[in-house]
Amino acid sequence: MTTPTSTRALTWQRRARALRTGWRSFRAQRGAVAGLAVLLTIVALAVLAPVLTDESQLGIINTMSNPALAPPSGEFWLGTDENGRSVLLLTWWGARVSLLVGLAATLLSVFIGTFVGIVSAHFGGWLSAVLLRFTDFFLVLPSLVLAIALSTVLSRGVGTIVLAIGLTAWPTTARLVRAQTLTVQARPYIERSTALGAGHGHLIAKHILPGVLPLVFANTTLAVASAVIAESTLSFLGLGDPTQISWGSMLKFAMDSGAVTNGAWWYLLPPGLGIVCVVLSFTLCGRGLETVLNPRLRGR
Amino acid sequence: MSMRKWAVGVAAGMLAVTTAPAVAPLGAPQADAQDDTGDRTVLRLGVTQSIDTLNPFEAIMASSTELMRLTYESLTMPSAEDMTPTGALAESWDTSDDDLTWTYTIRDDITWSDGEPVTADDIAFTFNLMMDDPDARTANGSYVSTFESVEAPDPTTLVITTTEPQATMLSLDVPIVPEHIWSQVDEIAGYGNDTMPVVGNGPFLITEYRAEEFVRLEANPDYWRGPAEIDELQFRFYRNSDAAVQALRKGEVDLINRLTPAQFDALSGEDDIEVNQAQGRRFYMLSVNAGAATADGDPLGNGHPALQDIAVRQAIARALDRDVLVDRVLGGYGEPGTGYVPPIFADLHWQPEDDQAWNFDPGAANAQLDSAGYERGPDGIRVTEDGDRLSFRLYGRSDRNADTQAGQFVRDWLAEIGIEVDLEIMSGNRMNELQKAGEFDIALSSWAVNPDPNYVLSIQTCDQRPSAAGTGGTTESFFCHEEFDELHAQQLAEFDRETRTELIHQMQRVIHEQSATIMLYYENALEAYRSDRFTDFGYQPADSGVIREQLGYWGYYGATPATNPNASASGTSTGLLLSGGAAVVIIAVAAGWFVTRRRRASADDRE
Repeated sequence: MTTPTSTRALTWQRRARALRTGWRSFRAQRGAVAGLAVLLTIVALAVLAPVLTDESQLGIINTMSNPALAPPSGEFWLGTDENGRSVLLLTWWGARVSLLVGLAATLLSVFIGTFVGIVSAHFGGWLSAVLLRFTDFFLVLPSLVLAIALSTVLSRGVGTIVLAIGLTAWPTTARLVRAQTLTVQARPYIERSTALGAGHGHLIAKHILPGVLPLVFANTTLAVASAVIAESTLSFLGLGDPTQISWGSMLKFAMDSGAVTNGAWWYLLPPGLGIVCVVLSFTLCGRGLETVLNPRLRGR
Repeated sequence: MSMRKWAVGVAAGMLAVTTAPAVAPLGAPQADAQDDTGDRTVLRLGVTQSIDTLNPFEAIMASSTELMRLTYESLTMPSAEDMTPTGALAESWDTSDDDLTWTYTIRDDITWSDGEPVTADDIAFTFNLMMDDPDARTANGSYVSTFESVEAPDPTTLVITTTEPQATMLSLDVPIVPEHIWSQVDEIAGYGNDTMPVVGNGPFLITEYRAEEFVRLEANPDYWRGPAEIDELQFRFYRNSDAAVQALRKGEVDLINRLTPAQFDALSGEDDIEVNQAQGRRFYMLSVNAGAATADGDPLGNGHPALQDIAVRQAIARALDRDVLVDRVLGGYGEPGTGYVPPIFADLHWQPEDDQAWNFDPGAANAQLDSAGYERGPDGIRVTEDGDRLSFRLYGRSDRNADTQAGQFVRDWLAEIGIEVDLEIMSGNRMNELQKAGEFDIALSSWAVNPDPNYVLSIQTCDQRPSAAGTGGTTESFFCHEEFDELHAQQLAEFDRETRTELIHQMQRVIHEQSATIMLYYENALEAYRSDRFTDFGYQPADSGVIREQLGYWGYYGATPATNPNASASGTSTGLLLSGGAAVVIIAVAAGWFVTRRRRASADDRE
């Protein structure tokens, strides 16, 4: 006995099936799973930091009785910084800003990139030409220099760093999305919808975007890695907000206080390894997703 | 794929930076190797503070005034032994009975580096320029404030007449410039003075300058005291002090100063490196905008009105634990701040009585704010009677490490007494602009004090506030106080050392009570040099003094090279370090390349 199913329900069934297949093929890749596990752990720790740790120990007037630049010990597992704060605690809290900036900047850049990419591919004509030249212009600009210039001109703060990274990292996404949009648009069902009278809005929202999104998603995952590094770089160069603890600013303080000269490796390694871990996990996940979305990459 | 390449490049770069810091300063002179092996003795300084200008009338940064003192001889000079006035351009001097007319006898054997003789006319020209042109008074205007006339009746005689007796006539820290060059300059403000070589008459002459990269000075062969022992002096700029320390360790530079305590401790035990700790003549303070205004009294900028209330300023002064600052920020190498003149000048330094001192006492600070009517709002932050929150902007410079650290301490301590502080660390230039325009609430600031403290006292007088056009004078936080100005005029006219000292003590009491300048600490000067290349310097003062940032040029002029400065003892370790650094860079680049290749492989396979 069969009950008639609506097209909507059918769509959802199909999507759930695709998701299950996707997850199965993602799970088959050991690197991707490991990356995801590390990432989830770090994100969970970062989110739960206010619950699990004592935030007051980040205030430098609360750590005045602790030794400065002390090597790792039973009390301070990763030693202390020049203000007697626990490096473990700093690294833990630093993850929050680093991840937040990384994700926010990526979302901004992916949003701009997707918008420009789809619009330029879908509408074509002079609009496309203008947008493409615009993209090319940003593509050839050295991103790091542009980001440094932006964060120098704007006032210091997390928002500025997000803006600086987001505004410089979008052109690759735009190019990628444009290429994918052109491919999707060439498919017969788009022609069919147009024949049935679908407008631009309907076409983009219902047909093109779903076709492009998986690629955007994989691209986003990879882009977060670069954004995290960009954030660390800018903070390390002293362009971030030095009153916010991030991994980049920790490295900067380590340099400024003479930790390198003093051989205080415990102050330099944790933020450095933190950056490496997060970037590596995002890259592993992103590559895993790519493989799921592109069958031709499987079995390599 | 440029974004990923960029990311990989940055990753490789960061790895290289963290593992092998400061492989070379940006754009350092290419002739490094020759410097070491040739016959020329070069003293190379690692400098982290940038240079504002080479114009002696406008230069106020410590590194640029130091350059000016090396290039231009002044009338008299604080001695290396104990900073008492000694002859320079002037070989002797005499004063009239009323102390209003000073006659200096100028040496006749000094020439400018282009061959022209140095005469009293040059000196008269320099002082007259400062008296006529407000722009020329930007850096050193306080010295000529009472000058009536400066004349040169003959090439070896200079006569200065003042309207009132002035006690600083033997410590006029003003670079004297050549008239035949500077009379051609139309506009002093903004003039770069960067035509190389710069014509001067000091022990060293600037021959090459690249902003933020290096300054090259060559010993003046015709210097009147006799040429220096070394042939060349280089200022090399480094982005941060750790880079400068690594450069010292590797033998790229010979002398560095402004070390952090951690660096000083680490360098203390090392071979071939000698450290030097000296009581500093610099103080570190909070500069409070207690109502910025022009010299005419027109309000300026956008300072928080609550800071015009002395109760708020005193409460802030009480809420700061200066012992902790000395301990944490200076690593113990310094003293907590009290009077305006640092304790290195023992007789001039003033210390408040214990019951008047701003001892760390948040309870008293809270009580003072309560009784002044600043109630705490619902968020714990106090509000004025008009309902404005006591929320202040605190500005610090990104090129001064202490600012970030001390700024956070200040922010957290003030939070305890219900004052919100928004700490913002910015570039030094930006901060100077904001401070000049009065667009700040509280700023972290620091000054070096001369043996004659008149200058650093003068920056607290009403006259030093800017004109309506924003030019002229150097004021610290736009301070203007009637009693202070009277005392300032009195001490300037006082020649009895004891009476003048007493007046200067009174001035410090006013500054202390008004609390528009809140003293934090006096830091010791921490320096280090390569003992395998140089054995001795001219210290000032002689027994326990500094090498760099002196009042004068004794440090470099007295630099004595080690008997065999060309020894290659450090060559091997430098070579090892360099090749080690190179290996790290190569590995990082190779890893980056490998990763990009991998990426490209999978990307190319895609549709």
